[in-house]
Amino acid sequence: MNNLKTTKLNKIIDKVVSNIYLLMTLISASFMLIIIIFILFKGLSPFMSNYQYGVVNFLDFLFGTQYRPDMGIYGVGFIIINTLVSALLALSIAFPISVLTALFVVKIAPQRLSEFMKVVIDLLASIPSIVYGVFAAGIITKFTMTIASMLGVQTYGGTSLLSVVILLAIMIFPTITSISISSISSVSEDLQHASLALGATKVQTNFKVVLLSAKQGIFAGAILGVGRAFGEATAVSMVAGNKMFGPTFGLFNTTRTLTSTMIAGLKETSGLDYDIRFSIGLVLLIIILITNFGLNFIKNKVGKTHEKN
Amino acid sequence: MKKILILGLVALLLTGCSSNGSTGNEETKQIVNIYTRDSASGTREAFEKAIDLDVISNTAIEVASNGDMITKVKSDENAIGYVSLSTDLLNTGLKALNIEGVVPSVDTVLNDTYSMKRPFSYVTRAAGDYKSEELQQLVVAYLDYLNNSIEGALVVSAAGGIVDTSGKVAFSTLKGNHSILNQDNSHLTINTAGSTSVASTLQATLEAFSPMAGNFKFTMNQTGSSDGYKRVLGSEKDGVNQADIGFASRDFSDQEDVTSALNSGIYCIDAVVVIVNENSEVNDITLDTLNAIYAGTQTTLK
Repeated sequence: MNNLKTTKLNKIIDKVVSNIYLLMTLISASFMLIIIIFILFKGLSPFMSNYQYGVVNFLDFLFGTQYRPDMGIYGVGFIIINTLVSALLALSIAFPISVLTALFVVKIAPQRLSEFMKVVIDLLASIPSIVYGVFAAGIITKFTMTIASMLGVQTYGGTSLLSVVILLAIMIFPTITSISISSISSVSEDLQHASLALGATKVQTNFKVVLLSAKQGIFAGAILGVGRAFGEATAVSMVAGNKMFGPTFGLFNTTRTLTSTMIAGLKETSGLDYDIRFSIGLVLLIIILITNFGLNFIKNKVGKTHEKN
Repeated sequence: MKKILILGLVALLLTGCSSNGSTGNEETKQIVNIYTRDSASGTREAFEKAIDLDVISNTAIEVASNGDMITKVKSDENAIGYVSLSTDLLNTGLKALNIEGVVPSVDTVLNDTYSMKRPFSYVTRAAGDYKSEELQQLVVAYLDYLNNSIEGALVVSAAGGIVDTSGKVAFSTLKGNHSILNQDNSHLTINTAGSTSVASTLQATLEAFSPMAGNFKFTMNQTGSSDGYKRVLGSEKDGVNQADIGFASRDFSDQEDVTSALNSGIYCIDAVVVIVNENSEVNDITLDTLNAIYAGTQTTLK
């Protein structure tokens, strides 16, 4: 009798707890929904015919090559390209370094060094972006300026695409590395033993078995990293220079990213110049989505080529 | 797949390097680098108005703040930029330029020889739209102190604002007009909003005036010029951030209609200083040259 009671009670508790979980899920999901609806509503308003500060042409906005709020020209086409160029260049620098670092930390480094490196990488990941920004404005720009003057190029005191790329590469390195580390350490020992038993060298095993088995996690790291590169505003705006036209491909030219555009003068503006930042935010969200799909696509490709081999 | 990616990357780098190469010859070494504030900045507005600039050159780069301007111009020998006169330029590695031969200083701003300046404007809520009748009387008394008393003017100028003290009277002669000053006002709070540039002068005058006016309290919520109007007469006037007096480091714009306010005006002047790197050979510049440089028609400092 007593036993039956406890089971009943337990069932009720289970029910209540699972409902609490459901409530929590709904709350966090609704934040996401509220944010998206708010940004959609705010961001699309400048293109609606009843917009109070003068309607912006959607195509001019999306494909424009000039961003001049002082002249009423809001074109983000070149900013989209700039953002993609800076984030993907940063990723292409940080990705190999991160993956090889992770491989070293997990598979090659002696125990003590490995523990030490993990702490260092976690510390790097937790440094606030404004600190990276101050570092970039003080050190990276000087480095860029020195390189540029050796090549005979005049820069804006080192404020340039190259500085942005170096800064972003440094910023996303710990993210990709720490996720790669956990992914590589979870590769099954049996797989590696099998590879070694078949006569593969350690290097071959590390590259062809360990890395490929860990690709799911490594690409998740890349996606998070590139997300950080796209979304970084504070630090980037300190070294980007906010050029008014573009796109910028020259490494020593100044550039302008979607986030640096959104943050510049946000506190002092109103009307269209304020609302348009939500439209830019919307564009940024879409670009991040597309890039994530792209990286997922590449991830699947990497596996397939291997299977054919 | 990999080959295509690598090819694309190489092509990107090549175009990048070639577009640099064309600007990288010896003659362009001395091209002036133009720095400006973001387009919402009150300092930028003051500067562009002063040099009568229609459209700023595409080649200008935008910095995020006064401090950012100082950092960037300090690290760039070919730079030209501008900051507010109240900015302390000592030991920053920057040089302030004379405009048309006039040294930027408080005296030259007041005698109207120095031309690059901007007003600090204020606007109040509409008459009768205060939390209490007492609060409205207190705001009126404060503005009287700020605008018409010698004491107020001295406090403003000590805090970096530029005020003409002629025509001001001792506050003791104004005091009689404000019966609210004779009671204990510690239950009243004046809320201010708007430009961050006005913060130092505003806080100094409020702190100085409070003991003379029954120890009222005040809350300064300075976030930017555009919030000044918004939070006393505009869209946020009944919101959580509502304020009694709003400030802007510029004139109120056409979108900001202050006619319904109880009181509005200008309580002091701030000036803009043109700065270059301390290693620059230039010491003096004209408004026309500045206009030509910022419009992009002149590419050197001289």
